[in-house]
Amino acid sequence: MADALTGAPAPARAERRSFGAAVAATEVDLRLFGMLIALVGILVGFHIMSGGKLIQPANMITLAVQASGVAIMATGMVLIIVSRGIDLSVGSLVGVVAMCYALLMTDWLPALGLGIDHPIQWIVALAIGLGIGASIGAVQGFIIAYVGVPSFIVTLGGLLSLRGSVWLLSSGAAVSGLQTDFRRIGGGVLGSVGELATWAIGVGACIAIVGLIVYNRRQRQRFGFAMRPIWAEVLLAALGCAAAIGLSAFANASYLPAGLATQYAVEHGITEPAGGLKVPMGYPWPVLLVIGVTIVMTFIATRRRFGRYVYAYGGNPDAAELAGINTRWTIMKTFILMGLLCAVAAAIGSARLNGATLDVGQSDELYVIAAAVVGGTSFAGGIGTIPGAVLGAFVMQSLAYGLSFNGVNSPTQNVVAGIVLIVAVAFDTFNRRRGGGR
Amino acid sequence: MRNRRLAPITAIAVLILAACTSNPPAASESAPESAGASQAPAASGSQAATGDCTVAVSWNNFQQPRWAAKDKPNIQETVEAGGGTYIDADANLDTVQQLTDVETLIGQGADVLILLAQDTAGVGPALETAANAGVPVIAYDRLIEDPSVLYITFDNVGVGKAEAEAMFEAVPEGNYVLIKGDPGDPNASTFLPSGWDEAGLQDKIDSGEITIVDDQFTDAWDTQTAQNNMEAIIDSANADGTQIDAVLAENDSTALGVVAALQAKGYDPIPVSGQDGDTANLQNVAKGLQYVDVWKDANELGKVAGAAALQLCEGTEMADLTIPDGLINDDVAPTAGMAAADFTTPGPDGEPDSGDENTVTSFILQPQPITADNLDLILDSGWLTKDVLCEGVEADSAPPACQ
Amino acid sequence: MAGNGNAPLLEMRYISVSFGGVRAVDNVSIDLHAGEVVGLVGGNGAGKSTLMRALSGAHRPDAGEILIDGAPVTIANPRDAKALNIECIYQTLALADNVDAPANVFLGRELTNALGILDDGAMEDATRKLMGRLNPNFTRFKNPVMSLSGGQRQAVAIARAVYFEARIMIMDEPTAALGPAETAQVRDLIRQLKNEGIGIFLISHDIHDVFDLADRISVMYHGRIVGTVKRDELSIDEVLGMIILGKRPDEVSREELASLNG
Repeated sequence: MADALTGAPAPARAERRSFGAAVAATEVDLRLFGMLIALVGILVGFHIMSGGKLIQPANMITLAVQASGVAIMATGMVLIIVSRGIDLSVGSLVGVVAMCYALLMTDWLPALGLGIDHPIQWIVALAIGLGIGASIGAVQGFIIAYVGVPSFIVTLGGLLSLRGSVWLLSSGAAVSGLQTDFRRIGGGVLGSVGELATWAIGVGACIAIVGLIVYNRRQRQRFGFAMRPIWAEVLLAALGCAAAIGLSAFANASYLPAGLATQYAVEHGITEPAGGLKVPMGYPWPVLLVIGVTIVMTFIATRRRFGRYVYAYGGNPDAAELAGINTRWTIMKTFILMGLLCAVAAAIGSARLNGATLDVGQSDELYVIAAAVVGGTSFAGGIGTIPGAVLGAFVMQSLAYGLSFNGVNSPTQNVVAGIVLIVAVAFDTFNRRRGGGR
Repeated sequence: MRNRRLAPITAIAVLILAACTSNPPAASESAPESAGASQAPAASGSQAATGDCTVAVSWNNFQQPRWAAKDKPNIQETVEAGGGTYIDADANLDTVQQLTDVETLIGQGADVLILLAQDTAGVGPALETAANAGVPVIAYDRLIEDPSVLYITFDNVGVGKAEAEAMFEAVPEGNYVLIKGDPGDPNASTFLPSGWDEAGLQDKIDSGEITIVDDQFTDAWDTQTAQNNMEAIIDSANADGTQIDAVLAENDSTALGVVAALQAKGYDPIPVSGQDGDTANLQNVAKGLQYVDVWKDANELGKVAGAAALQLCEGTEMADLTIPDGLINDDVAPTAGMAAADFTTPGPDGEPDSGDENTVTSFILQPQPITADNLDLILDSGWLTKDVLCEGVEADSAPPACQ
Repeated sequence: MAGNGNAPLLEMRYISVSFGGVRAVDNVSIDLHAGEVVGLVGGNGAGKSTLMRALSGAHRPDAGEILIDGAPVTIANPRDAKALNIECIYQTLALADNVDAPANVFLGRELTNALGILDDGAMEDATRKLMGRLNPNFTRFKNPVMSLSGGQRQAVAIARAVYFEARIMIMDEPTAALGPAETAQVRDLIRQLKNEGIGIFLISHDIHDVFDLADRISVMYHGRIVGTVKRDELSIDEVLGMIILGKRPDEVSREELASLNG
C-alpha cells in the first residue's frame, strides 16, 4: 500500500520560515552557543581576577588536559542518562582500568616476557585495558538490561566493588613508572603532537567543515528541502575554519619549557638564539582524544540506528519496544560504550600520573554526571547532546582551574562548583519551560 | 579515607562471618583478674596454670597494607619470642565492629589489649570493657584520650618538623609551594604545619628567606587533585615569571601528584617532601624526583608494642616500662629515652592548653627523614627490596643504595 | 497480497491473556480474511486492546495459537509481529515524543545508506510524501512530535503503520483524537487499504464508525467474545445491547431489553 500513497503528488516542499531572526537561518544550536559564551565569560572573569594572566596558550592547554577525562566520560554518560539510566561506577571503573594499565606495564606483561622496553608493550596494555573497561561495562549492562536490576543499584554496587578491586589488584600500594610512549596519552611536555601536525589538524578540520556543509547542502538539494541561505552557509564555513585554524595557532603558541628547548636545540643541532629557542608544542594528545571522541560519539548518537534508539527509548520506552527495537541490547550497549570510554579516560589519568594510585578516578562519577547535566542532559530522559556534555565538562573544570590558578582553596572550589551545577540546571529548566516543552 | 567506600560491603561480609563463627570461646578463661595474677603464681592462683601471656590486637582495618604487612608480624614475633600468645581481630573500619571485637578478644582470654582505634571517641565502651576485665590497653599509633592507656606512636608533629628541616637543608631560601592534605584532617591543618613552623618555616617567611608562592589543601589527600592544583600553581607562577624552588607536600600521596605535575610541565626537578614511605615515593627518592620522604618504620613500632605488652603481662606498672636494649634501631629511639615517659595529649577538643588535656604514659618514636643518601635504611629494615626500590633508576645517577 | 486458498488470512484460536491472576482475555477465537475489516467492540476493559496487543507482540498470550494462512506462527515480541507483516496503530500512539516525525515513522526500521549511516534525507522525503496524503497541512517535520497537535500525532502513528508492507493491520481507536475532516480522511484510508487486500481489525468506541466500515463485528465482554456477526445481520441497537449486557440478542430477556430502553 505504500505505492498507493507515495504515488500522490509531492507536497509543497519549502517550509515556510519567518525571516525574523537571521540567526534562525544559520540553524545554530542556540543552547550550545549560549554555553560557549558562558564558558568564555567564566574564563574572562578569572582572567581579570588574576590580573590578566590566566588566558594564555599554556594555561588553556593545562585546563583542557585536566578536563579531558571527565569530558570523554561525559559523552557516554549522556547516552546513559538519555536512556533513563545512570552510571555511578565510572570513577571506580577508571580506577580499576588505570591500575590494570600500571600493573600490565610494570608487572604482568613483563612476567609474560613483554618488557617495558618493548615498543608494542603499551599498545598491548592499552588494548587489554580497553577490553577490561568494555567487559565490566558489559557485565553491568547485562544485569541492568536483561536481569532488570535498576542501573542506580547495579552501578552503586559497581562503585563500591570496583574501588575495592583497585585495592585488591595492587595490595593497597600505588604503582608508578609507565612506558614512555604510553605517557604521551597524558599530554604534558612529552605528549603534544608538535607544530606541523597541529597546523595540519587545523587545515584538515577546516576542509572537513567545508566538506560537511557542502554535503549537507547536496543532501537537502537531493530531496528539494529548504536550504540555508548562501550567506549563512558561507558564514558558518568561515567561522568554522577560523575557529579550527585559530585554535591551532593558539596551541602552537605554547612552547617547550626553556630547559627542554635547550635540550631540543642540542638534539637537533640548532644554535639557540638569544632569549632562548621557542619550540611550539601544539595540541596535546588528551585534547585530540576529546575532540575525536566527541566527533565519534556525536556521529553514533545522531547518525546511527543505535543512537536513534537510545533517544527514542529515553523519550518513550514503551514506544521503542513496540516499534520492535531490541531495547535490552540497546541499553546494554550504552554501558559497554561507557566502559570503553572509562578505559580511555583511565589511560589519560594514569599516563598523566605516570602510574596509578588507589584513588585514581575517585569522585569522577559526580563530575561526569554534573558535566552531562550542566551540558543540558535531562534526567527525565530523551534529552541531551554530546557536545553539550563536553562543554559542560569544560565549564566545570574551568571553574576549578580558574579558582585554583587564583589561589583559592579546594573547599571554596567545591562550594562554587556545587552552586554552578544547581544554577545551570535551574536556568535550563526555566528556559525549557518558557520555550515550550523542550 | 578512600577505603571508607569499601566499608559497607566488607562490614556486611564481616557480619555474616561473625554470625557464623562467633561462638565465644570458653568464657572461664577470661578471668577478670588475669592481668595481675598471671605472673604471680604464688598468689590466689586462679590463673596460676601457666605464666603465659595472651596479647590481643584489635585492628581498625587491614585495608591499608601496612598493618597486616608490617605492624602485625612484628608484634606477633616479639610476643611469641617472649613466650606469649598472639590473637587479633580486624574491624574493617567499623567502630561498632571494633567494640564487638574487643569483647570477643577479652572473652578469648586477652591479658593485654593493643588497640588501633577506628574512632578515638567511639572507642570508649571498649576501654570500659577492658578496664572491667582488668586488661591494660595500649593505644597503638593512634591516640586514645584516656589517662589509663599506654600510647605508642611516632612523633606526628616531629614528622612535619623532619620534612621541613630536610627541605631547608636543601633549599635554605627561595620560593616555596605548600601542598597540604584534606582540610578536614587535623594532621593536615594543624599538626604537620606546626611541625613545619617548629623547624622554622614561619621565621624564615618573616625574615624573607622563604616566600610562599601558593598554599593549597588537597581534598581527601587525593593524588589527582594535588596534581591538578600543582599544575595550576605552576601555570600561575610561570605567568608571573616566578620560579618555584621547592614544594613542601605534607604526605606521599600529595607528593606523588606534585611530582607528576612537575613532570607534565617539564619543570626541572626541584626538592619535594613527603611522608609515609610509600613504595612509589621511595622509588621517586631513588630517582631524584622527590627529595625527602619522612619514614615511620612500622616494624619498630610493632616491636615496641610487643615488648611493652609482655612487660604489662608480667605486672610491670606502666610508668616502669622500658624498651629492651637492642630491640629497636637507635635512629627511631624516643628522644625521651628508653623508659616510658608522660605525654600530654591535646584533649578531646584537639586544642593544646585548653584545660581538657590528659596525661598518658607513652613511647614516642622518632620518624626518620629518608633522602637519596640514606636509602640503605629502607633496604636494611626489609621495608623494600633493592629490586623494587631501584626499579627504573638510571645507573649513572643512582643513589648509593642502588649501586 | 490477498490471502490464498480457503484458510483465512489470520486465525487466533483459544487465546488467553492473564495479568497477575486476572484473565483479561479468556479463551477467545477470532479470524480475519484478506480485504476484510473486522470491527472489535466492547465496553472498557472488555479485552479488545489486550487481544490485539497479543497479536502485535506487545503481550505474550498464556494459551492459544495464532495461524497465518493456516500455518501456526509464534509472536513473542513486536519484532516477530512486524516480520509477519502485522502493523498496529496503538491507542496510546506509542510515539517517541522527543524525536521528529520521520524518526517516529521509521523507528526500528530506519533507512540507511550502504555504510549503515542513517539516511535522514530519504526518511524525511518519504514521510513528506506519506503525510501529504494523510495530513496535507503538516509541515513540522523537524520538530519533536511532543510539540504536535493530537491530530498530527495520530497522523504520524498512522503513517508509520501504512508505510510498510502490512498484510494485517490493527487500528486501536484511530480516530479518537481527530476532528471531523481528519476522521473522514482516515475512513477513506481504511477503505483504500481494504481494497488493497489488507485485513484490518478496527477497535472503536464509535459504533457508527464500525457499522460504516466493518464487514463483520465481534463483540467482547469481560474478556470473552459474545458473538461475531455480519454487519447487516443486526441493527446498531442490537449490537449495543450485546456490548452492554454481554449476551446475544436471542438470549436477552424482555426485562433486560426494557431496562435498556428505559
